[in-house]
Amino acid sequence: MEPQQQAGSGDAPPKQVAQAMDRLGRAARLIAEIRLGADRILEALLVSNENPRLSEKAAELTLGEEDAMRRHFLDLRTVGKQLEDSGVLSGALRSRGNSWGLHMPLVCPDGAVVAYAWKRQLAGQAGASAVDRARLALKAFSDQKRRFFPQLEDDQLNRSNNDTIKFPPTKRPRLLHRPTQSPNIDSTEQKPMLADILKSIQTEAPGVTISTYQRLEWSKRAESLASTMNDSSLDQPKEQILSNLSGSFNEVAVIELVASGVFRVLVSLHPAGSTDPDAVAFFSPNEGGSYLHSRGMSVHHVFKHVTEYADKALQYFQSSDPNKALSHLLSWICSHQSLFTKNCSKCSKLLAMDKSLALLLPPVHRPYLLNSKDHDQDFATAYHIGCSSYDV
Amino acid sequence: MTVKWLMHFQPNQGTTLTSQVMAEACAVAESFPGVSRDGRWRSAMTFYRAVPRDQSLPAPSDLPRDLIGISLHDLPNEYLFVMRSQRLILRAHSSVQTVMDKLQSYKGRFFINFEGLQYKWGDFKLRIGKCLYNPNEALRGIVMEVEYLPLSSMDKSQRVMEEFYEIWREAVASKLLAGQFINTEVNFVEYGLGDSYTPQHTAVLYGMCVVQVIASSNKNQ
Repeated sequence: MEPQQQAGSGDAPPKQVAQAMDRLGRAARLIAEIRLGADRILEALLVSNENPRLSEKAAELTLGEEDAMRRHFLDLRTVGKQLEDSGVLSGALRSRGNSWGLHMPLVCPDGAVVAYAWKRQLAGQAGASAVDRARLALKAFSDQKRRFFPQLEDDQLNRSNNDTIKFPPTKRPRLLHRPTQSPNIDSTEQKPMLADILKSIQTEAPGVTISTYQRLEWSKRAESLASTMNDSSLDQPKEQILSNLSGSFNEVAVIELVASGVFRVLVSLHPAGSTDPDAVAFFSPNEGGSYLHSRGMSVHHVFKHVTEYADKALQYFQSSDPNKALSHLLSWICSHQSLFTKNCSKCSKLLAMDKSLALLLPPVHRPYLLNSKDHDQDFATAYHIGCSSYDV
Repeated sequence: MTVKWLMHFQPNQGTTLTSQVMAEACAVAESFPGVSRDGRWRSAMTFYRAVPRDQSLPAPSDLPRDLIGISLHDLPNEYLFVMRSQRLILRAHSSVQTVMDKLQSYKGRFFINFEGLQYKWGDFKLRIGKCLYNPNEALRGIVMEVEYLPLSSMDKSQRVMEEFYEIWREAVASKLLAGQFINTEVNFVEYGLGDSYTPQHTAVLYGMCVVQVIASSNKNQ
């Protein structure tokens, strides 16, 4: 085995990232070796079954493989520990106070490995703005063509709506199998409109303030939250309006839900203006800064764990009921208003010591499974991580 | 600002408070898995008394005779005053202490220092400290500050803090310390303070807590 060079925290982030990528590669190779070893053992068993004469040789082979496998497992465990220590597997997306803007490689819940965690967000934003630019360019071309070459009848450019651009299915690793949808199919036929969903959630949960933002608007607001948090005289954000923080609902990309004194949750929609949730994150109401976005992570343990669980809930809603995923998600989020007051449904206590994490936490797991009945889904139970009976 | 609770140690009847108790309390804190020591902390309190300009005239009744000044460990640039009789709190820049010295309208009569160790435990921060009477460094009491970082609302954090307090009390009792920690109960509404936690809340807590500490230490002597 090559000598292990520990990249301590004194090393520059690129080295840490390189080390982490290297370890991930090694882990992948070890896993492949283990698979091969298992195959060989099975083959040996099969051969010895068919051909009793060769059973002694097969036994020898099996023993040899067993040794090799044991070594591979030990190595894998070491690599795993190294990865854990460097923060790769915990998926900690800390953008605050991190040098050079680099993060440890992130192993996403779906198995994708992202070398730089901000890459995904940038890619998403680049994709979105590329779509906008393409749309504007097409509009400009068609306008010019109509002006200068009116004699040319071109159905493809003139007849189409201004907004129809069928972009190819974007790679969205967090989503499970979903039919690609162009954003401007008349959504009233298939799915409820964004405004209706938000209104119904607002009536269902009056204690939660819901606001909508375009992508850039939200970035500015997140930054401004950082400075207002220092002023302790400010009690609540002034925005109370549900409708029209952004001009129309066509470009809403971020939904912010605030339960006063309890949480601030960000849900991003992709594509903008649609009713398809893309990512969700929970934060403390006293947090502010550029790391406050739907793929960010709170600095507080309680909200970190709720966010991780929320990722799973989102994937579940998208796969089981894609048309109503947003409604279900928002209802589920609103049920967390009692995050710090509702006792665990199993042990009846509020705070419990989680032995593996060595943390005192309130019940952060709220089951999200949907009933077959369509209506009145109230996500009323809550469990501590250790009390949660689901294998999630 | 994030929510804090303040407790002081009440020794059992007939026992005296020693530094050993402080070490034992710190040991209880360190016995929880996942606790990490996070440095030291220090706050200072001054009891001011009014100095009448003209000795012959009686002091005007609307001016407070006693004033408590507090410098908090997490706000080094500020100084807070608490007037318990009028239920008023004033938040000022730390240079106001020089102003007080120059004005001489109020003189510092006695001084109490709080100093000790600070621990981080997940989303909680614990500060255990000795309460030292300044001139002779006599140990007057032991206080513990508990801070819950995710929340700033007193109301929403009430249950969390209560359960933490129970967990702490059970741990202290199981380690057989010679006494127990008592929480400082304050009616913040009387001081005009709202649900959102502020340094003013901390100042009031300390003011109230010190009174109880002094009372219990006088009783035990």
